[in-house]
Amino acid sequence: MGSTAETAARIATAIDAWNNGPVAKSLAKFPEQRTAFVTASDKKVERLYGPDASIFDDYDRKLGLPGQYPFTRGVQPTMYRGRFWTMRQYAGFATAEESNKRYRYLLEQGTTGLSVAFDLPTQIGYDSDDDMAAGEVGKVGVAIDSLADMETLLEGIPLDKISTSMTINATAAILLAMYIVVGEKQGVAADKLNGTIQNDILKEYIARGTYRFPPKPSLRLISDIFGYCTERVPNWNTISISGYHIREAGSTAAQEIAFTLADAICYVDTAIKAGLKVDDFGPRLAFFFASHSDLFEEVAKFRAARRLYARIMKERFGAANPKSLMLRFHTQTGGVTLTAQQPENNIVRVAIQALAAVLGGTQSLHTNSKDEALALPTEEAVTVALRTQQIIAYESGVTNTVDPLAGSFFVEKLTDELEAEAEALIKQIDERGGVVAAIEQGFIQKQIEQSAYRFGQSIDSGDRVIVGVNRFTSGDEPDIDLFEVPESTTQRQVEKLQRVRQSRDSKKVEAALANITQAAASDANLMPPIIDAVREYATVGEICRALAVVFGEYAESHS
Amino acid sequence: MEKSLKPRLLIGKPGLDGHDRGAKYVAQILRDAGFEVIYTGIRRSPEQIVDTAIQEDVAAIGLSLLSGAHNVLFGRVLELLRERGAEDVLVFGGGTIPPKDVPRLKEMGVAAVFTPGTPAREIVETIDGLLAQRPAV
Amino acid sequence: MERSLDQLVSEARGGGPRSQRAAARLMSVMTDQPHRLAELLAGSRDWPQPRLVLGITGAPGSGKSTLADHVVAELRALDPRRKVGVVAVDPSSPFTGGALLGDRVRMMRHATDSMVYIRSLASRGHLGGLALGAKGVVRVMGLVGCDIVVVETVGVGQSEVEIAQNADVVVVVLAPGQGDSIQMLKAGLMEAGDLFVVNKADKPDAAQLQQQLLAMLERSRTARLDLAHGASEPLVCHGPQLQGPGGPIDIQQDRPPPPMDFDEETPGVFLCSAANHQGIKEFVAALEELTTRQAALWQARRQEQAVEEIRQAVLEEVRRRVSHVLQLNGNGENQIRRILAGETTLNELVDWLMDVAASGTNAKSPAASDAKSHLRTEAAGRAEFA
Repeated sequence: MGSTAETAARIATAIDAWNNGPVAKSLAKFPEQRTAFVTASDKKVERLYGPDASIFDDYDRKLGLPGQYPFTRGVQPTMYRGRFWTMRQYAGFATAEESNKRYRYLLEQGTTGLSVAFDLPTQIGYDSDDDMAAGEVGKVGVAIDSLADMETLLEGIPLDKISTSMTINATAAILLAMYIVVGEKQGVAADKLNGTIQNDILKEYIARGTYRFPPKPSLRLISDIFGYCTERVPNWNTISISGYHIREAGSTAAQEIAFTLADAICYVDTAIKAGLKVDDFGPRLAFFFASHSDLFEEVAKFRAARRLYARIMKERFGAANPKSLMLRFHTQTGGVTLTAQQPENNIVRVAIQALAAVLGGTQSLHTNSKDEALALPTEEAVTVALRTQQIIAYESGVTNTVDPLAGSFFVEKLTDELEAEAEALIKQIDERGGVVAAIEQGFIQKQIEQSAYRFGQSIDSGDRVIVGVNRFTSGDEPDIDLFEVPESTTQRQVEKLQRVRQSRDSKKVEAALANITQAAASDANLMPPIIDAVREYATVGEICRALAVVFGEYAESHS
Repeated sequence: MEKSLKPRLLIGKPGLDGHDRGAKYVAQILRDAGFEVIYTGIRRSPEQIVDTAIQEDVAAIGLSLLSGAHNVLFGRVLELLRERGAEDVLVFGGGTIPPKDVPRLKEMGVAAVFTPGTPAREIVETIDGLLAQRPAV
Repeated sequence: MERSLDQLVSEARGGGPRSQRAAARLMSVMTDQPHRLAELLAGSRDWPQPRLVLGITGAPGSGKSTLADHVVAELRALDPRRKVGVVAVDPSSPFTGGALLGDRVRMMRHATDSMVYIRSLASRGHLGGLALGAKGVVRVMGLVGCDIVVVETVGVGQSEVEIAQNADVVVVVLAPGQGDSIQMLKAGLMEAGDLFVVNKADKPDAAQLQQQLLAMLERSRTARLDLAHGASEPLVCHGPQLQGPGGPIDIQQDRPPPPMDFDEETPGVFLCSAANHQGIKEFVAALEELTTRQAALWQARRQEQAVEEIRQAVLEEVRRRVSHVLQLNGNGENQIRRILAGETTLNELVDWLMDVAASGTNAKSPAASDAKSHLRTEAAGRAEFA
């Protein structure tokens, strides 16, 4: 018996010989289907992988044990043997009344956490009666103008028992303030609240577009939230640093890791500069990734992201608390992989993607519904999506052991490659002066755009097959029942908003808004004055305008 | 021979949704097909889009929208074009659009609707065809 | 809905609701219909003209569009009654001829401002005659009442530099952290600049870039003075002394001191952070001052250029017509092959081409050039515009 390195070298030689001998002979008769095989992200894939000695020789540094640095194998010691991931279905539409009903339905069906989708005017900070909101009220999520809407949205949902994730960024401080005040009114103290706000503004500039203020004041809002929650809402996840939308915009898997972690680096830097200690807020940082259909690449991506993040937090920022080093993440299956054609096929895609997320060790999961390439999902479609998670959890057996794909020659190799590629990209961003500079230069947007273009071209050329789209098409598509946001939504919401405006104490509202503007111009933490204004039923739009007086507004500057 | 000039096109994103992957991709394939394409960026009002289209003297406007606000916003673009005496400018659209809405959009005056997964070739050919049918101006 | 050029001109000039559309159509005629360009340029002599045509050029990523955007905002803020035009030029794809014109993205806040007219152009390579078309677009902006027109081009490529040089004042924009800026200065962009903006002045390396730029400009000024008038410092002559009737000649004494005038001043360098609107007020104030001082001179210069413009437009049209004949039905290639085969000469082919192009007919070959057919060619039956 030789050393592991000798064994690996011997096997590598054998594989070479195999490729040049029997394989070459067989290829002459039966050529492979393609001349080059690549992953969904265009990474080259070999015919056969052998063992890499480093898995054994360098085991502690590369893999470690579950729940231990560098967390490649997972962030908890027992993973799904202890508890399944949180099954969290993103939902929200029309007005607070309708969304509240949908949440109660989902809880009855066995979801274990809420995930609130807001409409675009709420996300950007326009009231429902603003000209800018035309056509958008209640469309991609629920419309929230004031505390009154939030009270309705969460009615009958015990905030001390349920954890709530809110996809909200530019206006995160305001919606969090509303959540805290609704908690108060339910008799739940802030330190008993559980949940997550997305609060990741950088990826809005990169990929998602719901920014309102320029980067600098936006980052200040974020560190104000960090500071406030560390003291008052200690169980709240103050940010969910999101690669999901970067991937949706067309990035590769490696770019998804790199740009997300580059954003994380910026947030940690900002918080440290604001005087916070990395081990105080580090444990509250959470992540959000996409899961696409290339199963092994996705599993490798999750593992590589965990390993790279742990190393960055330890080596770059000197974090010592193991909880600061853990990359905990939510996953959503890939919205862009859904096809409008033959929508039933999407159920299968979602199942593969959800499996990849579970094999990759996710902490929570949203599975898309089959009809989402066409509209918001129907209740029936959402139920199938949720059942998909339950089947993986309860029937597939993949949850019985921790990190079941570890040691796969292919998956370990892909993990190494993705980590190296992501790290090289982060270095390029560092050289450009950090992620904000790289965004301002359009570097990141350009990288994503080029990947998206290449991917699109590979489909248009037929090189990449999408079943039902560029192969196995079936002509006329049968009609499927789609969900519709009621036409009356805007009118009902605007009427409610007007009632709120009439019934509140407008003097108090004005004073509270003036306090916000004043605080924005100073160094004071913005959360207390925002909470005060929310309590007086100041609207999201009004609060944003009060901030914009000092902050200004951001407009896209790269094509 | 000098290539005959293809008409100028505008790709715009009305409304508040920031998902510009599709809009940019369509702009790129139209560029690859020899068009000069003016791209507006995200979160543009119908007024901004129509004023831009008029100043740029484009033959067609492509609108991309994923938020579901298409009925309102596409309609507003068409209305503004009429108000400005520019109803000869073609309007086509794409995005997350339920099949049920397509006839309604066409009735409003949208010349073509491309849903996700439409091949690039089909988009280019359709636009080429629509522009060829246009009365010479 | 056929409309003549005159109608379009009067609609554009009238400022009514249809003015923008008519102006936009006229601009398309200027850029897309070279055969009408000479006519239109000649007819545009009495159109109102902008007081200042400002060229902005620089390396990709230096922030040209952002600067243009903020200059426009500043100009509009200074005088709400003033119309401002922007011509933004982006490169065409050399492979497909298509182009993605994205400069608008940075200027959308002006999109609904009826006092701001923005037009995006594709450079169309060096054969498109865009420099002249762009000039025509500027002319139309003058027609609709623009007081100042900003022409923004990527400072690479012959055509782009030419477009910029049609401006009264050319501003070269540089930004720190981009090796490209210095490279482009070395490659000739420096000579194109009347003014320089070091943009992104909030970045740490901006001061260093400004120093580099000032040093280069000073060297270049010295070199220019050398060329024009000899050295500004005494030459040390190591060669044999010249002997005159009165003994050795002192070369330096006989040389007059170099006269200094406006053109030999070191061009102004401005530090801006366009994205933050910093330094923009100062820059615009300097432009205003320069315009007040020079506007009459520029008007006169544009008048002088009239002959040259028409000459270029005519040449462009000749080139177009002749190359059109050479392409017709593949016959052109056959004719060229006949030269290769020795059946005709280059001169004969040229004479024939000009003859055909002039008469708008499709003659059989140079050897039979007297037997002209009377078929109208495609070249003559050009599409009308509305």
